[in-house]
Amino acid sequence: MFLLEVKHLDVGFKTKLGTVEAVNDVSFHIDKGEIFGFIGESGSGKSVIGMSLLRLLPRNALVKGSAIFEGTDLLAAGEEEMQRLRGKEIAFIPQNPSDSLNPLMKNGQQISEVFEAKGHGRKEAKDLALKVMKRLLIRDPRLSADRYPHQLSGGMKQRLLTGISLSLQPRLVIADEPTKGLDSITRRSSIEFYQGLEGKKDRSMLLITHDLDLAYEICDRLAVLYAGEIVEMGPAKKLLDDPLHPYTQGLINSLPKNGLVPLEGSSPSLLDLPRGCFFSERCRSCISDCIKSHPKLAQNGGWMKRCILP
Amino acid sequence: MHSPLIEVDALSKQFGRLQVLDGASFSIDRGETLGMFGTSGSGKTTVGKCLVLLERPDSGRIVFEGRDLLKLKKKELSRTRPRLQMIFQNPVTSLNPKMRAIDSISEPMVIHRKISKEQILQEVDRLIARVGLRPEHLARYPQQLSGGEIQRAVLARIISLQPSFVVADEPTSMLDASVQAQILRLMMKIQEDTGLAYLFISHDIDVLRAVSDRIAYIENGSIKKIETNREKRSWARS
Repeated sequence: MFLLEVKHLDVGFKTKLGTVEAVNDVSFHIDKGEIFGFIGESGSGKSVIGMSLLRLLPRNALVKGSAIFEGTDLLAAGEEEMQRLRGKEIAFIPQNPSDSLNPLMKNGQQISEVFEAKGHGRKEAKDLALKVMKRLLIRDPRLSADRYPHQLSGGMKQRLLTGISLSLQPRLVIADEPTKGLDSITRRSSIEFYQGLEGKKDRSMLLITHDLDLAYEICDRLAVLYAGEIVEMGPAKKLLDDPLHPYTQGLINSLPKNGLVPLEGSSPSLLDLPRGCFFSERCRSCISDCIKSHPKLAQNGGWMKRCILP
Repeated sequence: MHSPLIEVDALSKQFGRLQVLDGASFSIDRGETLGMFGTSGSGKTTVGKCLVLLERPDSGRIVFEGRDLLKLKKKELSRTRPRLQMIFQNPVTSLNPKMRAIDSISEPMVIHRKISKEQILQEVDRLIARVGLRPEHLARYPQQLSGGEIQRAVLARIISLQPSFVVADEPTSMLDASVQAQILRLMMKIQEDTGLAYLFISHDIDVLRAVSDRIAYIENGSIKKIETNREKRSWARS
């Protein structure tokens, strides 16, 4: 049985201009101990998927489908059930470490309050927080615990945030762009750090990123999102070494080391998606059949691709 | 005699007890891109800020178009400033959130160029065409624009003043790979059209290898080495 199985997830946002179709019929699963990644550009719906699983979307969101996590449908569970799951069973590592920490609260306290909220006494919580910080290789944990977030480097803040998320030893971690804006050395150490986490106590992870190098290094399987739908899904290294979908190919060619070949144009408006393939307007191999009908996600072994071209 | 566009000599700057810049020296030619590579805390952002006078160095010289910037009088300085521009890392904080794109783009021209309102509007149309924005973007506020669109608006603002030198501090590190490629290509196109020079600051060596003529390595506030980069132009003209 899978740890998480998401089926036919649709997320729309009601706006004055109509419904923004942010996520369209997304199905995937995460095995125990597996790191599963979503890659795609801004607006492709990656963050929305993460937020919808934790039910943290704003009220105007219309969510359909199912997400079975250890027998519970996250999309249908009551608020009380969700409160029990959040943090303890499913944790979230948000995007921007600087914006996600309380600037007026000491570092150690930001972790210990998690334990306090779960019923530990103040002193016990403090000791537990120190233990977490030690495990995260935060330099000089006792000193760092007594300082404020602005006194830590970007990489250390990222670790602290990770520490808060992992402090209750969740079964699933959803990490949203954990390396955005970090420099190459800090990125490297956070990659090694995540790699070190893999497999420990069958911890599983949903990694949301547009950092293709990070995805390559740490993910087992990857799904590529475009305009809210999966266009390709398969084993991470193979998929990035030898992508089949024209969009994935374009994304990889746009990397600086591959010659910075940009994808022309921009993603279609989510208010008014094309009838045919969502990528057809930007696709260099587009043929007339691509515009006529919407391609299905076709399975081929462990690999899936949404493209009618061979 | 050959004289560089900007010559930086023994720049030093201290914040509190921290020696952020420690005698950094380098020069940049007209139309050249000097890449600057360094990790967080190496002083690369402070160098950029000193060059556009957002920070004042404690000591050292910055000679720009033959004149020492640090010795200019207020009036001369305000005449020189438009020639030196900067594009920042974080698109979210680059534009005034309460101003529409059209106001942000035209503001520098209102301040620095003595031309009529009508001419400014014509100029805005020309500028947005050059940076790949559409007229519908003009009425939007920054939060209604994507990161790539904001960087395009910032570039439109910058070229409206016809600068000869632009400091680009991680202009694409918050952008997606495909958008990054678009913006970098746009910056190279602008350079080819106008002959401006860039100081391109980044911690991404792949990006620097793609755009720089030379790459300077900064560590603990001083330049460790500068090397010629042969990988540039191969793609820029393709």
